[in-house]
Amino acid sequence: MLRPGTHHRGGFVTTLDAATLRLLERLRPESLPPETGDVPVVAPRRIEEAAEVLAFAGDRGIVVGFIGGASRFDLGGRLEPDVWLSTSAMNRIVDHQVEDLTLVVQAGASVADVEALLADHGQSAILPEAPGSATVGGVVATGASGYRRLRYGPTRDRVLEVVLATGYGKVVRAGGRVVKNVTGYDLSRLAVGSMGALGLIGEVCLKLWPIPRGAATVRIDDPEGALAETYRPLAVLETEGGAAVYLTGTPEQVAAQSDELGGVAEPGHRWPDPIDTAMRFSVRVAPRHLAGAVRMILTAFPEAPLRAQHGVGELTFGLETCDPEDVVAVRHWAEGHGGAMVVLAAPPGSLPGVDPWGTPPVAHGLQVRVKEAFDPHRICNPGKLPGGL
Amino acid sequence: MLQAMDLIAELEGVVGSDRVRAHPLDRRVFAKDSGVKTGPVAAVVFPESAEETARCVRIARNAGVPVVPRGAGTGLAGGAVPIEPSVLMVMTRMNRIVEVDEVSRSAWVGPGLINLDLSRDLASTGLHFAPDPSSQQSCTIGGNVGTNAGGPHCLAEGTTVAHILAIEMVTAEGDVVVVGGDHPDPVGLDLRAVVVGSEGTMGIVTRVLVKLTETPPAVRTLLIGFPTVEDAAATVSDVIASGLVPAALEMMDQAMVCAVENFVHAGYPTDAAAVLLAEVAGHGVGVAAEADMIARIAAGNHASTVRLAKDETERALLWKGRKSAFGAIAQSAPDYYLHDTVVPRTRLVEVLSKIYEIGERYGISLLNVFHAGDGNLHPLVSFDSAVPGELDRVLAAAEEMVRVSIEAGGSLSGEHGIGMEKRDLMGLVFGPDDLDAQARLREAFDADGVLNPGKILPEGSRCFDRAPTIGAAS
Ligand SMILES: Cc1cc2nc3c(=O)[nH]c(=O)nc-3n(C[C@H](O)[C@H](O)[C@H](O)COP(=O)(O)OP(=O)(O)OC[C@H]3O[C@@H](n4cnc5c(N)ncnc54)[C@H](O)[C@@H]3O)c2cc1C
Repeated sequence: MLRPGTHHRGGFVTTLDAATLRLLERLRPESLPPETGDVPVVAPRRIEEAAEVLAFAGDRGIVVGFIGGASRFDLGGRLEPDVWLSTSAMNRIVDHQVEDLTLVVQAGASVADVEALLADHGQSAILPEAPGSATVGGVVATGASGYRRLRYGPTRDRVLEVVLATGYGKVVRAGGRVVKNVTGYDLSRLAVGSMGALGLIGEVCLKLWPIPRGAATVRIDDPEGALAETYRPLAVLETEGGAAVYLTGTPEQVAAQSDELGGVAEPGHRWPDPIDTAMRFSVRVAPRHLAGAVRMILTAFPEAPLRAQHGVGELTFGLETCDPEDVVAVRHWAEGHGGAMVVLAAPPGSLPGVDPWGTPPVAHGLQVRVKEAFDPHRICNPGKLPGGL
Repeated sequence: MLQAMDLIAELEGVVGSDRVRAHPLDRRVFAKDSGVKTGPVAAVVFPESAEETARCVRIARNAGVPVVPRGAGTGLAGGAVPIEPSVLMVMTRMNRIVEVDEVSRSAWVGPGLINLDLSRDLASTGLHFAPDPSSQQSCTIGGNVGTNAGGPHCLAEGTTVAHILAIEMVTAEGDVVVVGGDHPDPVGLDLRAVVVGSEGTMGIVTRVLVKLTETPPAVRTLLIGFPTVEDAAATVSDVIASGLVPAALEMMDQAMVCAVENFVHAGYPTDAAAVLLAEVAGHGVGVAAEADMIARIAAGNHASTVRLAKDETERALLWKGRKSAFGAIAQSAPDYYLHDTVVPRTRLVEVLSKIYEIGERYGISLLNVFHAGDGNLHPLVSFDSAVPGELDRVLAAAEEMVRVSIEAGGSLSGEHGIGMEKRDLMGLVFGPDDLDAQARLREAFDADGVLNPGKILPEGSRCFDRAPTIGAAS
């Protein structure tokens, strides 16, 4: 039970007054994610309540951390919030326009549930394929995309509308529930990958795709060659276990494309298992450098599980332990090729001196000003973004 | 405050006297885009590099004169038309394809490059730039970035924003910065995603890294005639709901078809109340089945004629009909006003019938040609602005059409943008807090109102009092 007064936690001192405590009690969630430790958690049921919490926190300088399914808890700078704001009580499907292929959903809805519902209608929001506990809001906030982005583009291309509780405590709606829209500045696209820097994402409208009936996974030896020869595969993936082309379309087309590739074809899409090592990294380069990135990782860490997306330019790999210097060397390589190396997950203290993102973007001044515009009191997930933003 | 002559002399100091124009005739020519409004021009500059652009922005900024970027001026929302006396930065000389990376499928290009020139130049590589606005023979890539342009093939491929990887631009302070990158998910806030569609208010685009798309190996194009507009619209809704994603799905009503036939003689059925131009593209085996399926859905909605283009020549002819629609109008009336709203695709039939009703009530001559697959409506009114009161009547009808689209859950603009044309209608779709948030974002990029001030957001969008724009202060 929380009491008014000063709380000491991990070197931080927080003063909780009676009004804050009343608010916390009112919005206490039913169950607490373990990642939140002994920090109080509030779970608003409506986006207006989230805005109320943020307005309140802004006035008092209370630092708020946002939490969804905690599947990407470690991504970005470490948070030491005074309060966690959880989307667990905002998990409804608001509107599914089956025939218009749009879905309005609250941020806390689980990706797995949403995709299962859509699959019943032969549709998909093309969210990541092995989401674990991820929520829709979390996927949008981290800008995560699945393997199918080679064909369908990144998640950003499907976010049509966002409802946001901003760092200055207002509810803001941006974009619209139509598949094509240029009405004003599109804050919904800015929210994708914003890591909570602008505020809490409460609700989104997503563009859906119909799932074609034909599907096959074809094992091949030469992913770059297969990519060049196959018209619009769903994905061309390479793992420590080999490479495969993922095909989709009418059954006849998939059969024809499988024959053209000449490898071993299995019906359906068998996606690689998620990497579950303690440390996980993402190397991002222009697609022409991806094969080089694969060679580099295989040389540096011959045992590491890896998932390389040919044609996209992303490679993720996992390690149980490592010398931080080796990670720095990988980053050096990636940045030297114009790309980036991002730490997706690492136990606290395991990578001293390694920044989670690497070199901040060139236009850092603009990044700072946009952050300040939406979070003037610096209370929303502060320090999550590159450059300590 | 610099005098006008000093401003021009300073600009000439950067780009030379042949690339600064301020003759009254030049000011007139650049006072409007392809929309209906005009504005005051202080000087017209044709920069050839980011560095020149940056220096000109700093000069204008110090002089207290706003800067308005401009491509080909084919915009329809007044985006490139100044509201206060401004320096126009016309980017058409920066029109090079700087570098093509066929493996990564991307290219750095100058903002002044004509959209179609890029795809034509790349034809031998099997790649193209997917956004294909009907104006693609004349509009620029920089303008496409400015408006987040769409086109018939954006139904399957997405609008311009899905095809822009990185942008080099000159900021309101006159700095050259790059947003985005050549690799997936560059770290930090995705500023590139909001610069696209910002209509020249967040930066002057001086170089663009575009994503290139594989040209499909097989294409089938169908022209389908219907006895009623409702049947054609119902076919669109049914095709979308069927799980098929055509490469394009365009609709024209009878008035438009007749105008086009007189103009290009593409063999469109002039007795049909509406036609659909449908295209499927992809692997050879898939497209035949998809074309069949569209024909079947159309037959179920009483299609009177189905014509499948038998070769590339016939396909090109059918598309010529669609892409010449606006040229065809020019022959029947001195002026035309083109609307642009979006509605959910399930409500096309209902909204279209209301639009015809509005046209009838105002007694205006109305034609429809539009990106039906996206629900993107383009009612087109031909009129004669020399007739007193005519333009006002057209604009009043336009506003009603916007309202019925929004009441159906739609939006103000699908691809032409807000500019000055629809600025004061923004309140129809956004509340004060929504507009305030957009104003905050713009301020983060341009606190002093240097870049294209007065566009997109209605006055008073910022909830607290803000400093007047530098132009207004002078
Ligand atoms: C016949 C006709 C058909 C059309 N069909 C379509 C269509 O199918 N789809 C569609 O989307 N549009 C269409 N349009 C509208 C228009 O062609 C597009 O909006 C196009 O993207 C504008 O390009 P532009 O080079 O002419 O830009 P401009 O009109 O010169 O400028 C448009 C906006 O972009 C800004 N801008 C231009 N260059 C830059 C730059 N380098 N940096 C920053 N900002 C810049 C301007 O300030 C302005 O706000 C059509 C227009 C006509 C006349």
